[in-house]
Amino acid sequence: MPPVRTRSRRRLLALVPAAALALALTACGSGGGSGSGGGSADPAAALDTPATITFWTWAPNLDKTVALFEQKYPKIKVNIVNAGQSATEYTKLQTAVKAGSGGPDVVQVEYFALPELALSKRLVNLKDFGAAGLESKFTPSAWSQVSVGGGVYAVPQDTGPMAMFYNKRILDELGLQPPKTWAEFEAAAVKIKESDPKRFITSIDPGDAGGMDSLMWQAGSRPFQQKDATSVAVNLQDPGAKKVSDLWSSLLSRKLVDAAPGWTNEWWQAMGSGQYAMWLTGAWAPGNIASTLPDSAKDWRAAPMPQWSAGENVSAEQGGSAVAVPSTSKNKAAAAAFAIWLDSDPQAVRSLNENGLFPASSELLKDQAFLDKPLASLGGQQANQVFASSSAAVGQGWQYLPYQVYANSVFKDTVGQGLTGDLGAGLTAWQKRIADYGNQQGFKVTAP
Amino acid sequence: MIGIAAPLGYAAYLSFFQDRMIGGNVFVGFDNYRRALGDELFRAGLWRVLLFLLVQVPVMLGLALVAALAVDSGRLRKPGLFRIGIFVPYAVPAVVASLMWGYLYGDRFGLVGQIGDLLHVDMPDFLGSSWMLASIGNVVTWEYVGYNMLILYAALRTVPHELYEAAEMDGAGEFRKAWSIKLPAVRSALVLATVFSIIGTFQLFNEPNVMQSLAPGVISTSYTPNMYAYNLAFNGQQFNYSAAVAVVLGGVTAIVAYAVQIRSMRKEQGK
Repeated sequence: MPPVRTRSRRRLLALVPAAALALALTACGSGGGSGSGGGSADPAAALDTPATITFWTWAPNLDKTVALFEQKYPKIKVNIVNAGQSATEYTKLQTAVKAGSGGPDVVQVEYFALPELALSKRLVNLKDFGAAGLESKFTPSAWSQVSVGGGVYAVPQDTGPMAMFYNKRILDELGLQPPKTWAEFEAAAVKIKESDPKRFITSIDPGDAGGMDSLMWQAGSRPFQQKDATSVAVNLQDPGAKKVSDLWSSLLSRKLVDAAPGWTNEWWQAMGSGQYAMWLTGAWAPGNIASTLPDSAKDWRAAPMPQWSAGENVSAEQGGSAVAVPSTSKNKAAAAAFAIWLDSDPQAVRSLNENGLFPASSELLKDQAFLDKPLASLGGQQANQVFASSSAAVGQGWQYLPYQVYANSVFKDTVGQGLTGDLGAGLTAWQKRIADYGNQQGFKVTAP
Repeated sequence: MIGIAAPLGYAAYLSFFQDRMIGGNVFVGFDNYRRALGDELFRAGLWRVLLFLLVQVPVMLGLALVAALAVDSGRLRKPGLFRIGIFVPYAVPAVVASLMWGYLYGDRFGLVGQIGDLLHVDMPDFLGSSWMLASIGNVVTWEYVGYNMLILYAALRTVPHELYEAAEMDGAGEFRKAWSIKLPAVRSALVLATVFSIIGTFQLFNEPNVMQSLAPGVISTSYTPNMYAYNLAFNGQQFNYSAAVAVVLGGVTAIVAYAVQIRSMRKEQGK
């Protein structure tokens, strides 16, 4: 959800808008950079030294896992603070690090925002704090997303390998099987529409860059590439992107897919009342479905993503977060040790999963008990098998821009405005905005 | 005085720099202003609020004036209740008001959709691109009619009662009294309300920003100049350019508000 902020209007005869004042406050003090504090870089010693660390996160129920940590390492006290979701939190983090104080010691960062924060030196390279040997503990795609420019800037916490969640009741009613290819998906979309003009196979969110990124990722597109520290390449017209924009333009122009923002009250109502037959998203979704749609177990199931060629098995990630240590932390060693414990200790990883996060831990993804666990929210389906197989099939080599937070924010200005017909034109416009911004920021941008 | 001037001065100071991800912070003189003047997104936002200003403000002030005259006429059965009723929306935070109206506008599960289903007609999509500005205008009008009514009503209360009695002696009816006594009496209050509304309109932010989550494909990040400045700063880390946009916007607002004020003061003196 985009952040909601309060600000009163029409109260004072202020000549310069409130935004100018706010930014004047937030932009003050530059520099900051790498702080001095840090103590010992030895994680074991750090965990044995009394310290209090602040952890910014918006993941629900994290306090339960943190309680396990405090039991095990009673000398470290962890304060959990919800500093807002996603872009709201990153803005606060940028501000705090720029100012040099007031920031957290440990911070939740989504994968798409990590290159930006790492390259602008807002985060500590965790290789200096014992993270170098952790690679084998995580899925390859999660590890590659926290590795930026030769460093390791966060510990993967959860991932979102994509799956196709479908309303079994609707598919059964129409005698349909979950589509295995995108061609079958299109055919199913036609049948669903024919059964009721108010029904759609799924919706597409004009404000959600991440959803589009994942579809392109799965189709083999690699639109964002960081070539070196100062040059990036953007190509939102490569063959994979083209496949996605052709298919979805066609679905949209025939009104087989609904262009509607996700996560709104209307959208959940449409999900619950059977107006949408499917939701293509990350493996973290069952928790959200269960908490918002109480009867989900009756209707919703998971299946692998439709494929571009029959018999293939290619997937992508949608969302997911990692945990990082800002460069202004006064307790870097303890913070890093906590982050590493939280996301790699077997007991912690299990606890995170029980509280709704889909694991980034390769060990847990192979665990038989985990794979065989029936998910109550999906009618007892052993859906972790679907998700784990998707996780193993995530296409390699995907990258985000060093300014992806901005790029995502103008998705709705470009692609989002064109969701009535030609997606390709929207992608071209998005590419132009991304290239312009990159050039303004001093990058060398190559775009076709 | 320093407390007022310092943030303005700092914003102006910031607007002469550029802090880039590669290359760092450099002095760029008037570059940011040159860019702002040629920026199509900024210009489109300005035109949008100008259109809003030309339509919404007269409608809102007209309604406020009618309401103020009605309360003042003494012919309403429960004037206190009427006054409070119109004023209450002003006490509702703009964010809450926008959310609430956003739900009502929903064409599938909102009130609008339900009315459409009930009457078996296709209701217009109030959150679609052709209706959005009008929908926002409706929310703003709903919020501020009461506030403006109070300003105008206060002005009406200052008219000495003898004036009405004298008019009645001369055979003037209610409409004649309203036209010849009351309207001239609220003139300067009306100018004040207009200036407030102009400033408020140029700063339009809360309503479109909240509705953006309901219609991201319609409300872009540069929908209004204020939203543009905000998003430049907080999504793009372009604080310096944002400061320049804010200064230009402040200048435009000041010029328009001042022009309206001067014009109406001249008219008054000319009479």
